[in-house]
Amino acid sequence: MGLTRRDFLKRTAAAAAASYIGLRLPFDAPEEAMAADVDSWHIGSCRLCGVGCRVRLGVKDGRAVAIKGVPEARTSMGYLCMKGMLFYKLMGHPERLTTPLYRESKKDEFREISWEEALDIAADRFAKAVKEHGNDSVAYYGSGQALTEETYLFQKVMRAGLQTNNVEGNPRLCMASAVGGYLTSFGADEPIGSYADIEKATCFFIIGSNMAEAHPVIFRRVMRRKLDNRNSVTVINADPRISPTSRIADIHLMFEPGTDLAMLNAMAYVILDEGLADEKFIENYATFRIGKDKKEVTFEDYKEFLADYTPEKAAQICKGNITPEKIRKVARLFARSSATMSMWTMGINQRKRGVWANNMIHNLHILTGQLCKPGADSFSLTGQPNACGGVREGGGLCHILPGHRLVKKEKLRNQVEEAWGVPLGRIPPKPGYHTMAMFSAINQGKIKAIWINCTSPAQSLPNCDLYRKGMAREDCFMVVTDIFPTKTTELANLILPTAFHFEKTGVYGCTERRSQITRKAVDAPGKAMPEVWIVREWALKLAQKLQDPVIEKSVEPFKGLEPDYALPKAIWDEYTQKLTKGRDNDLRGATYEVLEKMADGVQWPAPTEEFALKGGTYKKFVRGIDPLADVHAKDDKPLQFYGPAHPDKKLWVWLRPHKGPEEMPDVQYPFYLSTGRIVDHWHTMSMTGRITELLRANPYAYVEINPSDAKALGIKPGDMVLVESRRGRNILPAKVYEGPVKGMVFVYWHDMDEDRMINRVTKDAYDPGSKEPEFKICACRIEKVSGPKPLKPYIVRM
Amino acid sequence: MPIGGFVVTVDPDKVDRVKEMLLAISGAELHGQDEKGNLVLVLDAETSEEMELMTKEIRELPDVLALGLVYFHAEDEVERIEKGEYRPSRSFGRKPV
Ligand code: SF4
Repeated sequence: MGLTRRDFLKRTAAAAAASYIGLRLPFDAPEEAMAADVDSWHIGSCRLCGVGCRVRLGVKDGRAVAIKGVPEARTSMGYLCMKGMLFYKLMGHPERLTTPLYRESKKDEFREISWEEALDIAADRFAKAVKEHGNDSVAYYGSGQALTEETYLFQKVMRAGLQTNNVEGNPRLCMASAVGGYLTSFGADEPIGSYADIEKATCFFIIGSNMAEAHPVIFRRVMRRKLDNRNSVTVINADPRISPTSRIADIHLMFEPGTDLAMLNAMAYVILDEGLADEKFIENYATFRIGKDKKEVTFEDYKEFLADYTPEKAAQICKGNITPEKIRKVARLFARSSATMSMWTMGINQRKRGVWANNMIHNLHILTGQLCKPGADSFSLTGQPNACGGVREGGGLCHILPGHRLVKKEKLRNQVEEAWGVPLGRIPPKPGYHTMAMFSAINQGKIKAIWINCTSPAQSLPNCDLYRKGMAREDCFMVVTDIFPTKTTELANLILPTAFHFEKTGVYGCTERRSQITRKAVDAPGKAMPEVWIVREWALKLAQKLQDPVIEKSVEPFKGLEPDYALPKAIWDEYTQKLTKGRDNDLRGATYEVLEKMADGVQWPAPTEEFALKGGTYKKFVRGIDPLADVHAKDDKPLQFYGPAHPDKKLWVWLRPHKGPEEMPDVQYPFYLSTGRIVDHWHTMSMTGRITELLRANPYAYVEINPSDAKALGIKPGDMVLVESRRGRNILPAKVYEGPVKGMVFVYWHDMDEDRMINRVTKDAYDPGSKEPEFKICACRIEKVSGPKPLKPYIVRM
Repeated sequence: MPIGGFVVTVDPDKVDRVKEMLLAISGAELHGQDEKGNLVLVLDAETSEEMELMTKEIRELPDVLALGLVYFHAEDEVERIEKGEYRPSRSFGRKPV
């Protein structure tokens, strides 16, 4: 037919895209080409953000060569973003870590060693630390990108084996305030609703989230909803910075950083003042609370409290484009719409008062009854693919055990000890160090051995120079498991190469309580191994060195299992069958067998396989939809808020005052500094293409400055600008545009170059409740240092 | 050489203007559209890095609201990486969280 293979592939690509929008192309979908483009397709999740898009990975001759979306997946409906597209490059990438590397001193060069030797050294150093300095001198710092099986097994060995709750993970840096918000407002962690609410919502309140860049496929759904219903759907975007997300907004609320708490309280004021509250909903399901001891107060007390937050007063605090009338208008839209869905991410969570900010959004939903009905939800978006599934549910933080159990509750500790078959009292009663305390403890020489898995705190901690000093200490032995060299492997003693996604088997739980499996499809390069194998083998050696049979007991059920499927399956079975039973995240129905049958996994609660096969629970707490709402029903009301944290089984409206950021601009440091993400943050300068306009694309972090500020300081686009705080400095090229509100600058935080690593400048203040740092706001000064300069992208290499 | 199939979503009133701009990009082919502002786009690039830059450029076009990938094939490039003929200029993919 004269069609080249290339033409075939193009037709395949066109046919795939056309099928999404129900379009018939002048040529038929080339069936032969569809079949010929790869040997096999393997379904799994994308690993590059918390949306949980499903992909089919095309494998040919044992290599990943193609990717396509999965139209039947309820998360992504077949779409992917650009990050998803680049998956295949990670496998067989020339810079992958492929063999264990070791150096005794952090000043030495690394040398290649065998797995046997590597695991022996790791066990030796952890055992030595425990013997000489006690159980709390060792720690694990994990990741919202690790599989649930991995996080679960690591924390089991740390808690039951090494008897320490020093188990943390990077979700502390992004999700902890959302966890705190859900627990204190709704009594249970994680969103009530689902993405499916997007197609039913008529008002979107998007605050502190640039979802167009950070969650592109979810943004796509919101955008489609808006475009298809232009007059009946309203999008409100609240952010101190105009971002690509603002493109679909009807109203953009732009305020000075950190003032949104006043605005949210003022919205509540308007809702009550104008009689927009759902009194019946409040009467049935809500109580009012104040203070550390969660004291119950009355509705009248709340009204009195809000008297201080008139729209007039809030507008004065918020500045930017906020007017009293705008606050009123937005409050009315929020309350009156048939279904309002709030969505937020780090702009709300990474704050000194992140939990309060979360509470205040939940307050609005409780007051207006915009919950538990189709399209209405208070929906926190997750950044990482398995922050929810692995870390929040699997026991990956210092104060929580698997199945949303608190460490400090003896009854709950005992349940876990029984399930594990270890002596009662084996898990210490005191929570371990939270992330910032853990790295402070390293600075103080209190931690002698730490295992860092699948994350790079040397770059991602706020005020990172301070903590890099600790990580560089010779008396802190550091093991790092990863697939690539990072700023953190630079400070390690032992680097262990791991298998990447699709090179091993396991489960990710995305934003909407959905667990999805990804099975191994290709071999890992070199000697890289799945983490579950690494932990098991390490634990067995630890047991010998510490002469402690309970450590061996913690991996006993997994001994001898092959690591690619049988091992993770056994771990998942133990976790789901024994530790989610009777908990709100009941996953007993979501067995590997069921997950493998589903295109898009299962939403918990899903107590039985039969229920899981229907997809699980789309909306929590609603009788007839959520099986646990029936199990725990205490009356005949249609909603049952059975969450473990609220003994009264009610939603709590919190009286939270407005509180600004920890560090405010002053004469010396007159600007707000905020940081954030760009959709393609990994991409590079290398541009061999034929499209001249593309040369303009920027491979480095830059500092965004409002035109009026730039003018006042004589800064032109491309000029090199000093961004300095009390902690550190960067020198970055300037981007001058109407993005950030006047008086604020914004820097992307992914750049590894020492001059452009913005976490050297950010502040390490943290929320006293959630312990999540305030990455989003600190004070800085800016100054032009020179005109434009040619820059080189910088990447850590071995 | 990587090939990608995309659905480009455009403000429905501005479709014609965006189509012109898309067609001005070498390596871009349009294969159809619907009345809701969705366009079927195929991109053919030298390397996936170049493809990424093309998509970045498209996303930044005025009136383009979203660019959704549905199919991506890069076997030739994988072969070139393995043979050492082409070295992606940097590692990526792990968000430095
Ligand atoms: S939106 Fe997130 S999960 Fe979906 S393809 Fe993009 S990076 Fe992957």
